[in-house]
Amino acid sequence: MTKRTGIGVLALLVSVSAAGAQSKAWDILREIVLVPGVSGHEGPVSYFIQGRLPAGLKAEHDGMNNVWFTVGAGHPHILFVAHSDELGWVVDKITPEGRVRVKPGGGILPQTVEARPVLIHAGRGDVPGIVSPRPGYDERRSEDEAPETPFTAESFDIYLGVATEAEARALGIAEGDTVTAKKTITDFAPGLMATRAVDDRAGCAALLDAALRLKPETVKGRTITFAWDVQEETGLFGAAELAKTLKPDYVFAIDTFVSTDSPLESKRFGFLPVGKGAVVRAIDSSNITPKPEILKVLAIAKKRLIPVQVGNSRGGNDGSVFLVGGAIDIPLSWPGSYAHSLIEKIDRGDLEALTNLILAIISDWK
Amino acid sequence: MAHRIIRTLGLAAGLAVIVAAAGGADLKSVAKELFAVPSTTGNEEMLAAKIRGLLPKGVAVEEAGLGTIAVKLGGAPGPTLILAALDGYGHMVSGITPEGTLTLDRPVPPPHARFDAFLLGQPVIISTAKGPVQGVVSQPAMHLLTPERRKTQVEGFSLDIADVDIGARSEKDARAKGIELLDPVTYPAVLTELAGDQWAGPSLGVKAVAACLVSAVEALAGKTVGEETVIAWSAQTKSAARGRGVRPAIGSARARSRWQPKRAIVVDVIAAGKGDGFPFPGGGPVLVQFKSGPSDLRQAFETAAAESGAPLQFLTAPDTPLSLPFEVPPAEVVTLALPVRFLNTPSEIVALKDLQALCEILQHFLQPGGAK
Repeated sequence: MTKRTGIGVLALLVSVSAAGAQSKAWDILREIVLVPGVSGHEGPVSYFIQGRLPAGLKAEHDGMNNVWFTVGAGHPHILFVAHSDELGWVVDKITPEGRVRVKPGGGILPQTVEARPVLIHAGRGDVPGIVSPRPGYDERRSEDEAPETPFTAESFDIYLGVATEAEARALGIAEGDTVTAKKTITDFAPGLMATRAVDDRAGCAALLDAALRLKPETVKGRTITFAWDVQEETGLFGAAELAKTLKPDYVFAIDTFVSTDSPLESKRFGFLPVGKGAVVRAIDSSNITPKPEILKVLAIAKKRLIPVQVGNSRGGNDGSVFLVGGAIDIPLSWPGSYAHSLIEKIDRGDLEALTNLILAIISDWK
Repeated sequence: MAHRIIRTLGLAAGLAVIVAAAGGADLKSVAKELFAVPSTTGNEEMLAAKIRGLLPKGVAVEEAGLGTIAVKLGGAPGPTLILAALDGYGHMVSGITPEGTLTLDRPVPPPHARFDAFLLGQPVIISTAKGPVQGVVSQPAMHLLTPERRKTQVEGFSLDIADVDIGARSEKDARAKGIELLDPVTYPAVLTELAGDQWAGPSLGVKAVAACLVSAVEALAGKTVGEETVIAWSAQTKSAARGRGVRPAIGSARARSRWQPKRAIVVDVIAAGKGDGFPFPGGGPVLVQFKSGPSDLRQAFETAAAESGAPLQFLTAPDTPLSLPFEVPPAEVVTLALPVRFLNTPSEIVALKDLQALCEILQHFLQPGGAK
């Protein structure tokens, strides 16, 4: 055994002993990314999460589809929160030609779904469709023509294979149905993949895995809450609802670190490589984590031999909603390339390090 | 392009008969099998091998160079050539960076200006000698996108900034996966089954047409056909011969030179569903002629369509690179085209009833007496 291998085995043993059973986060992630749950319509993913929680656990949920459970009693009260909603669209109307139009928004580059399959999550089941390419996509444009109209969610329509509104409605489609890109998983190698909705189903999977591996005795006189909240992508609304009743001392938001580890990005900030461990998201667009708290996390990680990186990037997190109530927000992440795309990239080792870090914090946080 | 639909023989009532007669289930399964195989210009060998494997045992397959394969069906002296493409548009590895990402180029010019732009942020498959390697074409993260970068990296996306991430960290890593320069790069063959018996997927049109010819050989193998017929799946149909003026496709120019057909039927795809003047998806295959008016071949196909109860659309349009080499009197040529919605996008849409009608008409045409 080489020195390097020996350290690796030791790290695994220490991590596993702190965390209990072997992590299943990766397998959970590969399932949960495929469950639909556009912001404001998280029912299916909320049921998925509730169905995977440890038996006998008293989970709560509200009318928005926030799900949470609390174990232990005493201080500090530590909240771990991941958001279950994903990016997507909502059916606005069906045209007389049987095409589906969606409401503005979506959160991903519309160009990446142009001429690509989508799924409409209709009342009677999923209906596949193709986002129509822009009109004249294959025609030569002369220089004196007006500039091309931008390709946006407002401008595109979805072709279903029917020719009339009545036929579209006969498929079960109605205004208000949600639409997501048809998801595929790209396996670069064992333990390295890219797909849609890693943001923030990886956070959901990490929390589920941690819940399944949590040893009650590690809570030790403190209050621990795990929450899977909704509508993060559209304005942190689920977290805001939770903040009305939950008053944590510390909140660890579990969400993507928007990494610049990708060919098109400047590496001047946010360059935390995929595959180099979990992340403490020190500064983002919604929160600045106090440095002493970062050091506490790093000390715990070091003790448990959990690989952790620290960096700053962009984007907000649900924990920021709890700041005004007195909580300290310490977002935890994995380095994620291509955030808000069909190809969000994630490494298994990073995800498992994140799960181990969550369990280590539960055990060691003071 | 000045397309003009002249006439449509819409015999919807006959469609049920066609579906049964053309062995719809078999055609579907053949089409699905071919759809799954990547094939770009210059890299047609995998699809050719798949077609060979699907042809009836005992059928002699002729290799005609560059990857083209053909089957000869006996009959009265001819020959008649039925020619379809083996290759679809795609990309290839043009370089491996020190960081282990891949750069891209095309083996042939794109079918339209937006062709490369569809790559942005998409999964791709690199077909290497060691097997398929999965990758993604990189895109900027939404959170980091400035208005300036949106212009250059999204709206202005081109092959100049198309990097394929295969999860490697160095050129050595990439090569260890089997990546070599010129490996073909295509979209994963994910088939979407839409309402109305329509399928969507990348390069679906070419694969569907190729399946139709496999189906025709299956149906006619061992039988006497109307006339000695070569059924060919041609490589390099997207590559144009050099020279002045209109440039013929290499694959079809070689086919003409090899078989010297008296009559050529080019089985191709055609953009459909774009409004007035364009073929209508679901309206049946499209008989395309350079010159309007009667001809023996046109008459034969009209008869084949009418007798088999299949709808047929007619279009007068300029020669395509595929049909051009055969426009040499006294030889005759027509193009029988499968209407494809969203042609040359990652989601080409084919109506199965069009495909079935195409097969039925071809088979009827090839039967003894069918080509009268």
